[in-house]
Amino acid sequence: MISLRGITKTYEVGKEKVEVLKNIDLSVKAGEFVAIMGPSGSGKSTLMNIIGCLDRPTKGKYFLDGVDVSGLKDVELARVRNSSIGFVFQQFHLLPRLTALKNVELPMIYSGIGKKERRERAEEALRKMGLADRMDYLPNALSGGQRQRVAIARAIVNKPKLILADEPTGALDTKTSRSIMELFARLNEEGTTIVVVTHEPEVAKYAERIIMLRDGEIVPGEDYKRGLGQ
Amino acid sequence: MRLIENIKMALSSLFAHKLRSFLTMLGIVIGVGAVIIVVAIGQGGEAALKSKIVGSGNTIEVFYSPSEEELRANPNIIYQPAFTEEDIRILESIPEIKSVVASSSTYGSVSYQGRETDSTIFGINESFLEIYDMKIASGKSFSAGDFISGNRVCLISQSLKDELFENEDPIGKVVRIGTQPVQIVGVLEKPSGIFALGTKDIYVPFQTWKMITGKSDITQITLQAASPDVIQIAGEKAAYQLNAFHNTEDSYQVLNYESLAEVIGQITRIMTVTIGSIAGVSLFVGGIGVMNIMLVSVTERTREIGIRMALGATRMQILTQFLIEAVILTLIGGIVGIFFGWGVAEIFALILGWPSLISWQVILIGILFSMAIGIIFGLLPANKASKLDPIESLRYE
Repeated sequence: MISLRGITKTYEVGKEKVEVLKNIDLSVKAGEFVAIMGPSGSGKSTLMNIIGCLDRPTKGKYFLDGVDVSGLKDVELARVRNSSIGFVFQQFHLLPRLTALKNVELPMIYSGIGKKERRERAEEALRKMGLADRMDYLPNALSGGQRQRVAIARAIVNKPKLILADEPTGALDTKTSRSIMELFARLNEEGTTIVVVTHEPEVAKYAERIIMLRDGEIVPGEDYKRGLGQ
Repeated sequence: MRLIENIKMALSSLFAHKLRSFLTMLGIVIGVGAVIIVVAIGQGGEAALKSKIVGSGNTIEVFYSPSEEELRANPNIIYQPAFTEEDIRILESIPEIKSVVASSSTYGSVSYQGRETDSTIFGINESFLEIYDMKIASGKSFSAGDFISGNRVCLISQSLKDELFENEDPIGKVVRIGTQPVQIVGVLEKPSGIFALGTKDIYVPFQTWKMITGKSDITQITLQAASPDVIQIAGEKAAYQLNAFHNTEDSYQVLNYESLAEVIGQITRIMTVTIGSIAGVSLFVGGIGVMNIMLVSVTERTREIGIRMALGATRMQILTQFLIEAVILTLIGGIVGIFFGWGVAEIFALILGWPSLISWQVILIGILFSMAIGIIFGLLPANKASKLDPIESLRYE
C-alpha cells in the first residue's frame, strides 16, 4: 500500500539546511493499522504530510498503491488526495459555515459527483458514524466527539484506501477518544488502511504496529507494541 | 467541479459577510450607476437637442453675410436689410421649397394701461407659427386675412402676459407697441424643453409690423423643404438663386439643420464620453475595493483553503472559486448599479423634459463590464489563494 524508499526532506531556514527526514524506508501493507509516534520535532508531521501527498520529498521515492507519487504534479496530487486518501485532523478542520452534511459532501464536490449521489453517500457515511440526527447541524452546534465523527465521515465518504489521522484525539477527552479510536478500529476491520500520528500511547495501542521516529529517523525495533504493556 | 456549485459556494460566503459584501458592492453600484447616468443623460440630451434643432423638420436657415469685398465697397452694407420681399418671391418659386418663413424682429417697448416693458416685436408671415411649432394657449391664432390686410392684432408670449396682465385676461385687450395700438387675439403656450427661456415676445402679422415700425426689411428667412430627401438640394438652390439675383459671390448661405444637429450630436457624444470616463474612474476605484476585500477574505480563509486542498481541490478549483466570488460580487453590484442609474436617469429626464435613453446595449455592456471588473480585480486575490501552501494553510490560525 505505502512504500517509502530513502525519503529525505530538507528545509532551508535562511542559509541553513535542516534535514527533517533522513533516508526513511517504510512499508505499510494494505489493511494495516499503523501508528507513527515520536516526540515533537521528530519529523512525524512532515512524514505524515508526505504520506498524505500534501508535500513532496526532497529525495527518495514514494509509491502509493503501486504508483510513484513522488514525481506527480500538483493537480495529480490533488486527485490522489481526493480519491485515495481520507484525512482526519486534530482540530477537525470542518468548514464552520457548512452543515455536517455539506461538510461531508465536500470531497465529492471536488471529484465531480452529482448532487443526488453526493447527498445519499454523505447521509450514509454520517449514519455510519451515528450522526443520523445531526446532519443539518453546523459544526459549532456539535460536541468535539461529534465533530470528529463528522470529519471521519468526510474522510471515508470517497471510499479511500488510506485514512491518515493526525492526532485525531488530541482535542478530545478520554472517553470520547476511546470511542473515536474504536471507530478507526472498525473501519480497519472493514479493510481500510489506517495510519495514525500520535504521541499518546493509549491511541497507539489500537494500532497493529508502531513506528517510532526520532530526529528524522525511524528507531529500529519492532517491539513497541509490547512495550506499551499489551 | 460544476459552475453551479461554485456559484452557490460564492453566494453563501458573500452572504456570510453581509455588511462587508454590501459595502464592497456599493463601490461597484456607484461606479456603474454613475456611468449609466452619464450615458443616459448624454444620449437623452443629444436626442432632445437634435429634436429641438431639427424642429418640425426639413427646415433650412438662410443667412446673409456680406463678403470682405462687398464690405470694402460699401461699409454700410451690414446695416441694410438682409432680405427683401423680392427674395421671398424668388425662394417661393423653387419647387423643392414648400414654404418660406419670413420674419423680422425689433426691440421696443410694449405697454398696457400704464404698465410698460421691453419686448421683442416679431413681424411674421403665415407659415411661421406652424414651422416653429408654436401653439396657442388661450384665445385664437391669426386668420389668413390678418396677414393679407395687416390687421392690428397680435399674439403675446406667456412671459409678456405675466408681465403686463398678471391675473387679468388679456384676450381682446389693446396694448401699445410704442404708440401703435394692437389688439391681443391669443396667448402662446409656454415653450417646453431645454431652450425654454420664457422670453417676452409679441408677434404681429408682417404687414402690420411694417406699418408699426415703418421698416420693410426681413431679418430672418427659414425655408421648409418639400421632403427630408430634398433638404440639401433646396438649400443649394436657394443660396445659388439669391447669390445670382444679388450678383454676389457667396454672401447668401444656408444652414441645413440636419447637418448642424449632426455636429451638435458629435459634440454631445464627446462630452458624454469625457464625463463617462470620469465616472469610470469611480468604477475603477470600486474595482480596487473589490480586490482589497477579496485579499482580506483570502487571508481570513487561509485555513478553509488548506482544508479544501487537503480534500482534493486543485489549485485551479481554488482559483475559480475566488474568481467567481469576485465576479458575483461585481455582477450583483453592476446589476443594482444599472437599475440605480436607470432610476436616476429617469428622474433627470422627467425634470428636464427630455427622453432618457437606456438601451439594452447599455444594460448589456454594463453587465459585461461589471463582470470584467470582477475578473480583472479578482484575479490577483484568487491567484494568491491558489498559490497557498496546503500545509501552511492548515496550520494557519
